[in-house]
Amino acid sequence: MTDITTEAAAQERDLDSLGPVDYIVVEFPAGASNFTGEMSEELLRLVDAGTIRLIDILILTKDADGSVDAMELSDIDELGDLQRLEAELAELLAAEDVEHLAAAMEPGSTAGVLIWENLWAAPFASAARRSGGQLIANGRIPIQAIIASIEADQATASEGA
Amino acid sequence: MPLRPARVGRVGVIGAPVAKTAVVAKAVSPGPSPVAKTAVVAAAVTPGRRRRI
Repeated sequence: MTDITTEAAAQERDLDSLGPVDYIVVEFPAGASNFTGEMSEELLRLVDAGTIRLIDILILTKDADGSVDAMELSDIDELGDLQRLEAELAELLAAEDVEHLAAAMEPGSTAGVLIWENLWAAPFASAARRSGGQLIANGRIPIQAIIASIEADQATASEGA
Repeated sequence: MPLRPARVGRVGVIGAPVAKTAVVAKAVSPGPSPVAKTAVVAAAVTPGRRRRI
């Protein structure tokens, strides 16, 4: 018989040690892709260093008429070193996610979707929770916002000079 | 190519259609050259810079 209490406690421990999960969609406009294997190398470097754990990868294509097709990593003929990651993926994304993600794509483009866990952040997040902290906001600051802020700052400084 | 059966019929995790973000390389014009913009960003995140409140 399964010990439900023990199982629930184990799940709670697992969830407590889970790092934040992020995603990106990298678009390659029609005729602009130049796959040299460099991206795979850098991805593998992050995985091997224990910085991230890859959770899911999909390759999306959007036709000129807007129709979307999705490929699994295993559908690619020559995976190279990515082969060893393929078996570890968790298939987190659902079919409805494909439509949502593809909404950002231009017609005629191809995109890689990556989902990963930030292993580097897990111990800190766990410590914060144990300390009674709760994550109430997070996000990414676009480079454009930093540029705008600095330029506004410089403009104010030069007006005051 | 079809998605694996495990992906079909499940509730997704993304929630809503995703809007395209500004492409960084295209967002640095007009104005100073991309190299100058890079220097500006680097200066912004340099240790020791203090905010003015």
